[in-house]
Amino acid sequence: MRAANALVAEVLAELATMVAPGVTTQDLDQAAEKLVREGGAEPAFKGYRGYPSTLCASVNDQVVHGIPSTRALNEGDIISLDMGVKLNGFYGDSAVTVPVGKVSEEASALLRVTREALEKGIAQVRLGGRVSDIGHAIQLHVEAHGFSVVREFVGHGIGSALHEEPQIANYGEPGRGPRLAEGMTLAIEPMVNIGRPAVKVLADGWTAVTKDGSLSAHFEHTVAVTKTGPLVLTRRGVTAPAA
Amino acid sequence: MAEAISVEGIVREALPYAQYRVEIDGPRQVIAHTPGGTGRNFVRVLIGDRVRLELSPKDLGRGRIVAVVR
Repeated sequence: MRAANALVAEVLAELATMVAPGVTTQDLDQAAEKLVREGGAEPAFKGYRGYPSTLCASVNDQVVHGIPSTRALNEGDIISLDMGVKLNGFYGDSAVTVPVGKVSEEASALLRVTREALEKGIAQVRLGGRVSDIGHAIQLHVEAHGFSVVREFVGHGIGSALHEEPQIANYGEPGRGPRLAEGMTLAIEPMVNIGRPAVKVLADGWTAVTKDGSLSAHFEHTVAVTKTGPLVLTRRGVTAPAA
Repeated sequence: MAEAISVEGIVREALPYAQYRVEIDGPRQVIAHTPGGTGRNFVRVLIGDRVRLELSPKDLGRGRIVAVVR
């Protein structure tokens, strides 16, 4: 789990430095696949329920699961890079949303609040806590800043499969759901819209966009539950890169 | 990669075309169909059964019954 997630962190950091006006999402996907394979791993999304690519590249009003294409990035866009790998039978999964060049103040605020919300969610990871404590903390933070939380998609347990129990909603009452136990590994991933929470899936069967066309951001970490609290496996420097 | 949300609910009413009205936590009601579709009702669903649904991200008022929880 450590090695798979450390690789995801390294590749995402590399991809984030490539994001610039004129770069296509396909360029990023190709670079992602190359880096993953060089790391001795396999892309986890490619082929998952028929998903065609290594990377989910979701630009602006795209929430998640944007399929890489010949679309070129423009100055002022925001792009969510979501990627998973399979290494030695274990899965790693993480996402970041990054600005393309200089973005509006509103977009920067969205990125900041979404990243903070993820941290608030991670802070709820402790032995004996409940799964819904995570989503509750995320929702409180997001709505305090006037943004909204996507309901249709949720975080998930992760380990020897990409999606395991439990589902981790990014909203709801605290104190519900399974108790957190040592050794559980969770992919926590708030998706936050500037406008209304509603999303729809495009005809390609994957790309989720906001119904009102407002910008959407998405951050994700894979986190292990330990005696001493959350261990963020996809934070660079937390675990050594794959040897 | 985010997972499409799934929920549990209680079957309240059988509708035509192998569809069911299901009450989920909220309480909200959704219309759900069985996985086999019309006429291939391998999963026997009775009123009052607790079922697990996958909701369509395209329309949160509709879903597919993926399991009967007994």
